[in-house]
Amino acid sequence: METVERLKSEFSSSLTSLPSTNANETLLLLSENEALKKLVKSISTEFDILFTLLVVDRPPEAFELNYVFSRYRDSALLTIRVNLNHDKPVIDSIAKILPSAEWEEREAYDLFGIKFRGHPDLRRILLQDDWPGRPLRKDFVVTDEIRNWTGLDLKF
Amino acid sequence: MKDSTQNKITINIGPVHPSTHGVLRFIVDISEDTIVKVDPEIGYVHRGVEKMAEMKNYNSFMPVADKLDYIAALNWEVLYADVIEKALNVSITPRTVYIRTIMCEIQRIMSHLLFLAHVGEDLGNTTLFMWGFRERELLMDVVEEVSGGRLAPMYMSIGGVYYDLTLSFGRRLLEVLDTIEHKVKNEYKAISYQNDAFRLRTVGVGVMSKEFGISHGLTGPNIRASGVKRDLRKDSPYLAYDKVDFEVITENDGDAYARFMVRINEILESIKILRQAIKEIPSGETKVKVPWFFKIPPKYTFVRHETPRGEAAMYLVTNGDLKPYRLKIRAPSFYAIQAIKDLLVGNKVADLVTILGSLDPVPGEIDR
Repeated sequence: METVERLKSEFSSSLTSLPSTNANETLLLLSENEALKKLVKSISTEFDILFTLLVVDRPPEAFELNYVFSRYRDSALLTIRVNLNHDKPVIDSIAKILPSAEWEEREAYDLFGIKFRGHPDLRRILLQDDWPGRPLRKDFVVTDEIRNWTGLDLKF
Repeated sequence: MKDSTQNKITINIGPVHPSTHGVLRFIVDISEDTIVKVDPEIGYVHRGVEKMAEMKNYNSFMPVADKLDYIAALNWEVLYADVIEKALNVSITPRTVYIRTIMCEIQRIMSHLLFLAHVGEDLGNTTLFMWGFRERELLMDVVEEVSGGRLAPMYMSIGGVYYDLTLSFGRRLLEVLDTIEHKVKNEYKAISYQNDAFRLRTVGVGVMSKEFGISHGLTGPNIRASGVKRDLRKDSPYLAYDKVDFEVITENDGDAYARFMVRINEILESIKILRQAIKEIPSGETKVKVPWFFKIPPKYTFVRHETPRGEAAMYLVTNGDLKPYRLKIRAPSFYAIQAIKDLLVGNKVADLVTILGSLDPVPGEIDR
C-alpha cells in the first residue's frame, strides 16, 4: 500500500511493520507514543474511521493498544499498535481528529483505566461512577461480592 | 433573536421508556422546543460480556454471543463461530456455508421487520407495529422448526450447525417469503411509505450528511441511507454472498425516511438472496468435528460481518489457553448512539423519538 510506504518514510525510526495473521490487514508498531496524534492526522484522509480500539492487558509490562482503522472505499484495514507503560497508562486522545474515537476511548478508560490526554469528555461510560476497579484488567478477580454488586446499600 | 442559552430546560428521557427500544437514557437540554445538547447514557444492560469471554472456554461462550443482540441473534452466532474457526484454521462444509447464509438473511428480514414495527409504534402507527410482528412471527416459526429456538436459537456450533435443515424447510420458507414479499410491496406501502401522515413525520427529519456519517463511523443501513455504497457482503464477501446475486440498496437523502426505505428495500433483496440460496444449496455434511475443549495458539484473529445494524466485528486474542485472552466486540449500534448526540442538536424535541428509532439501536449490543 502506498499509504504505508509514505508513513514509513515520514516516521522512519519509530514505525515497524509486523506480520499480520489477518487478510487485508497491515499491522504497524509505533514505538514513540508522542507521535500518535501526528500519525493519525496523517492517515485520517486515507483511513476515515477508527473501526475499533482493542486494548490488551499484558501485565506486568504493558497495555497494548491496537487502533484498527478502516475505510469506506474498500475492505483494507490498518492497525497501529502502541504499548503503554503498565503503571502509568497515558496517551494522547485522537477523539478531536476522529469523532468515532470518542466513545471507544471512554470505554478504554472505563474498563482498563487508560487516561487519554485532551479527551473532550473523559468519564466512565458502561459502568457507574462508583464501580470498584477496572474490570477488564487481568488482576481484577470476579468475586461473589462483585457479582451481587448493586451500588446501593441494600441488605437481603 | 433570543439567546439560545436562555430559558434552557433539562429534561430526562428514559431509562425505561417505550420509544428508547430498550434501556437507554437521554439527558436532553432544550431551549423552547429545540434540542441544544444531548447526553446519551448507556450501560444499563451491561453484562460484562468481554470479561465473561475471558472466563469461559470457547464453546461455552456461544450462548452469550447469542444474546448480544437479541433481535439479530443468528448473525452474532455466525460471527462468533467464524472468528473461532478462522483462529483454529477449520474450514466448514459447503452445505454449512449455505445454511449459515440462509439463517443470516432470515434474521436480517426479521430484524428489519421489527425495525419497521417499532418505527410505526414510535409514530403512533399501531397498525404497522402489529403487521411487523405478524410477518416476523412467520419467520420465527421457520427458525423454530429448524433450531428449536425462537429469539435466541443457539443454532450455530463451532465447526458447523447443530441440526441439518428439515425436509419441509425449503418449501415452507418459500411460502413465507411469498407472503412477506406481497405484504411489503402492497400493504406496507399503503400504510407507511406512500402514506401522507407517515411521510410528514419522517421526510427531512434527522438529516445526516455523508461526511457526518463517515466521520462518526456509522455503518450498515444508516450510512447507506446517506448515499455511501458500502456493504461488507459485497465489499469483502464472506459465507456464500459472492455466489448469489443481489443489489446494495442506497438512498441519497439521509433522513429518517431514507433510512426506513433502505430497510424496506433490503427486505426485498434478502428475499432474493434466500430464493437463490434455497435453490443452490448443496447436499452433504453439516458438521466438521471440533472437540468440545480445545486450545488456540497465540495469535490475533479479526473477523467482521454485515449484521442488520451494520458492521459488527470480533477481535480475538489468544495465548494458547482453553479460553480467549481477550475478545473485543465491535457493535455497530454503539457508533449510532455516539453519533446521535451530535445528530439531534438543532432538531425539535418531538422528532427525537423518530430519529432515534430510525437509527435502529439495540441496547443489548451497545452495552455488551
